[in-house]
Amino acid sequence: MSALSSNWDRRSIFRAAAGLGAAGTLAACGGNNGRGGGSGSGKQLTQYFHAYGEAGVEQAVKRYAKAYTKADVSTQWITSNDYESKLFTALLTKQAPDVFEFHPQIQLVKSGQVADLTDIIAPVKDDFNAADIKSHTFDGKTYGIRMIDDPQFFFYRKSMLEKANVSVPTTLDELIEAADKLTTSKVKGLFLGNDLHAIELPLIWSAGAEPLTEKNEIGYHTDAVVGGLRRLRKLFTSGNLLLDAPTDFWDPSAISQGLCAIQFCGMWAMPAMQQALGDDLGVFAFPKVGSSGRPSVYNGGWSMFVNAKGSNVDAAKEYVKWLWLDQKKYQEDFGTSYGFHIPPRTSIASQAEKLKSGLPAEGVKLFNTYGHFDNISWTQAMFSAWDGVISDSVRKGGDPEAALDACDKKINRELKKLFG
Amino acid sequence: MSTTTTRGTASPAPAKVSGTRPRRGLRASNTLNFWLFTGPFLIGLLIFVFVPIGWSIWLSFFDARFTVTPSNFVGFANYRHMLTNSDFTGSLVTFTVFAAFIVPTTWALSLGLALLVNRLRFMRAFFRSVFFLPTACSYVAAALIWKMAVFNGVRFGLANTVLGWFGIDNVAWISNPSPPWYWLVIVTVRLWLQAGFYMILFLAALQNIPTELYEAASIDGAKSGWQTFRYITLPQLRATSTAVILLLLIAAYQAFDEFYNIITTRATWGQTPLMVLYKTALGANQDYGSGSAGAVILTLLICVITLFQGKIMGFGRGEESK
Amino acid sequence: MTTTTPPLDKPRRVRRGSVIGNAGLYLAVSVAAVLFLLPFYLIVRNALSTDPEITGENWKWFPTHFQWGNISELFNDETVDFGRSLWNSTVMAVLMTTGILLICSTAGYGLARIPYRHANKVFYAVLATLMVPTAVTFVPSFVLVSSLGWVDTYRGLIIPGLFSGFTCFLFRQYFLGFPKELEEAARVDGLSQWSAYWRVVVPNSLNFFAAMATITFISGWNSFLWPLVIGQDPSAWTVQVALSSYMTNQTVNYHLTFMATAISILPLVFVFLFLQRWLVQGIAQTGIKG
Repeated sequence: MSALSSNWDRRSIFRAAAGLGAAGTLAACGGNNGRGGGSGSGKQLTQYFHAYGEAGVEQAVKRYAKAYTKADVSTQWITSNDYESKLFTALLTKQAPDVFEFHPQIQLVKSGQVADLTDIIAPVKDDFNAADIKSHTFDGKTYGIRMIDDPQFFFYRKSMLEKANVSVPTTLDELIEAADKLTTSKVKGLFLGNDLHAIELPLIWSAGAEPLTEKNEIGYHTDAVVGGLRRLRKLFTSGNLLLDAPTDFWDPSAISQGLCAIQFCGMWAMPAMQQALGDDLGVFAFPKVGSSGRPSVYNGGWSMFVNAKGSNVDAAKEYVKWLWLDQKKYQEDFGTSYGFHIPPRTSIASQAEKLKSGLPAEGVKLFNTYGHFDNISWTQAMFSAWDGVISDSVRKGGDPEAALDACDKKINRELKKLFG
Repeated sequence: MSTTTTRGTASPAPAKVSGTRPRRGLRASNTLNFWLFTGPFLIGLLIFVFVPIGWSIWLSFFDARFTVTPSNFVGFANYRHMLTNSDFTGSLVTFTVFAAFIVPTTWALSLGLALLVNRLRFMRAFFRSVFFLPTACSYVAAALIWKMAVFNGVRFGLANTVLGWFGIDNVAWISNPSPPWYWLVIVTVRLWLQAGFYMILFLAALQNIPTELYEAASIDGAKSGWQTFRYITLPQLRATSTAVILLLLIAAYQAFDEFYNIITTRATWGQTPLMVLYKTALGANQDYGSGSAGAVILTLLICVITLFQGKIMGFGRGEESK
Repeated sequence: MTTTTPPLDKPRRVRRGSVIGNAGLYLAVSVAAVLFLLPFYLIVRNALSTDPEITGENWKWFPTHFQWGNISELFNDETVDFGRSLWNSTVMAVLMTTGILLICSTAGYGLARIPYRHANKVFYAVLATLMVPTAVTFVPSFVLVSSLGWVDTYRGLIIPGLFSGFTCFLFRQYFLGFPKELEEAARVDGLSQWSAYWRVVVPNSLNFFAAMATITFISGWNSFLWPLVIGQDPSAWTVQVALSSYMTNQTVNYHLTFMATAISILPLVFVFLFLQRWLVQGIAQTGIKG
């Protein structure tokens, strides 16, 4: 009996093992998920892009990649609102992208995540907007290549302002007043995005402060900023602000669908707005906050980085050089064919006819006159800490000083980790 | 249904070898059999559950930013950081508030529905199915409906449309935390999703209450109504209620999906513990050390809560004690 | 609601209750039913409308024309490969259900029925994992899975979720109550424990297996956090992740978003309508035992 049963057992084990093996194979077969997949003579590269809202960008990016002959480049199009989480998480893994777009942020440099691109940029350095080089440089080394500059400012419906007899606001108080006059039962005066994230930096600059000082210490905690936060709170509770809109600030729908009269948005959405509203559209910078302030425009944008921990750093650098330094045609196409962006390279920007007249030209003027570029020391964690300030003081109605104090604590911890 | 529901509580102690003591051969084959049956599961559990837990604990003692293979040992610094971090401690408050809302309301609503459905004589299956159907929806789908169709802040949201009929202005349900309408959004979505599920539990339990109890009570002169409910139905449902409350608590503790999709991580309110961990570790901060420390703290807390509840209600232990 | 209709006695009893009481009862359930069905109505309405109809100034209860073309538009939409995500979810839910039933049922049986000296210790180790919210360990889990190279694969989606302490616990509880006589008879006939399990125990437990299968399928189909983390590439997205991306996408497209929602719910609605018996049984059982 004992022998018999152990015999049975052994057979059963085999059968079980076979079953598990089969299940394993099945899972493995199913596991082929679009990665790589190229014909595979050259090297394999993966690039990450966040999902651009404008039609055609994805196809364009893939078209450029296809034209590259020295490597097989596959594109990951990340349609999620926290692109940074996806990107950061992916960078920890074996399947990290070789090339990715992001903003210049020091923690990527400090953690050795992004490769030094100084050598490939050097030959064309002078052709770049100097501010774009500076914002990507730390300790004399340049870590990313700017693809597009995206100034962010207000768009307004000229007809609505005329009808309500409102002139273009030049101070935050005037903006708040305008919002009040423009609000009707169907239309809200102003849209700043659903969580007001987008106006954090403009608020600081327009109040005459800087996020961080030259020495990388906190620079945003000033009386003018506190005052600005107090006024924003007033605006937030006035009922003149569009909230919980179905789309966020980056999407032109709020203003094009007639949900608001003034919307904070970016240059990229200009073509879509013009298409919907025609000439009934104007732009102005984030107005000054308090008496000592100055209007400001956040010159955001996207840059290309090479994953220094990837397995094909050299091939990746070569690809980035090819596309974002050598192929001017593609760069121009990327900058002006879909949404409007300002090419960071002088030689391309000077030839971009679409940006030379009308509203786009006004946008370029705001960019040049009031623009502030990224500060490489201002990291994602600091953005996130400032989200807390807006949440606590403006949206929730807490004391701005207390909110800023809480933020100081977080940002100082971050600064200490980064700069010792 | 009733046979399966009653079985659990009455189940015997785990098969202690009955009758004849096993001989060596039999015991060996028992050992072999045991591993044959449980081996695949245990190996998987070891790799995919215990290793991550251990890794988490290990990480929690290191300065692990932008890396999960850190080298800088920091002792309890991450724990200190999390425990003094107002986001994290605030999330425990959020959880408490959330639980204080959702547990009693779900309990009451699902019990109420069960009592109603249980009294129906026609179309019973129909109504039961209707109340049960939302369980089919995922939190993501439900969050989407709530955020975009019911409670969006503009004129074409259902809630604002209905308010509009009464001449009330559009309400920003989610963006504006004062008054905290977002709780209405969050609680109703979960209520809608969960109530049917727990209703089924209560229905099963209601049908296990012996009819004689009610008959006896009616002979004793108890009025059909509140009295029988209070003195017969409720006490008879005690075991189910206990289970339901525990399940609701644990579910509330792990709430993530609808908060992530409705409130988003940009706000400072309505951040559940898991949201904060997600933000700390996977979000902008990429601080795996602190994130892991938070995870360990949460785990300890849930252990304490469960054990505490187990102590009080004798839940899940009975059959192990000799 | 409970206060308006004193909720009492068994339904089968002959009721002396008044007609008014009955009408009140049906009124109450009907109102509740309408509220519970309202979101489903919204999904269908929006899924079959055009965007201007949804976002228009005046509320429309029904679209002027049912836009059935929205379905093909959804599947032809290039920004989100919805068909692919449906397929991924199907594969994931089916393989997970199969895997969990295989692995956890045998383990539950082993823990319940095989007299092994350390069985209780092992059982406590399994119980301990129930205390740890699975989502709490997702960072190391993710890193582990990614170091195996399983990000964006079905393996990564499925295998880590197969070892459910909870399901194993439920199976153990079930097998504790399974009549011993059946098995013993099988053993006397010379079957090994393994064969006895497959030939006697399992065939006699199909009800419970069906219940567990239904529940596992639903939770697999609806799971979000893990697929969100694992599915980096859109080609590896499940339906829930795709839905979430509609919500956070840069341009919101109402009719497509709601069509996607409707289609994502559809399979489970069928499960609910046709397999409700197993489901109710399973929930009653798992819930009671918690």
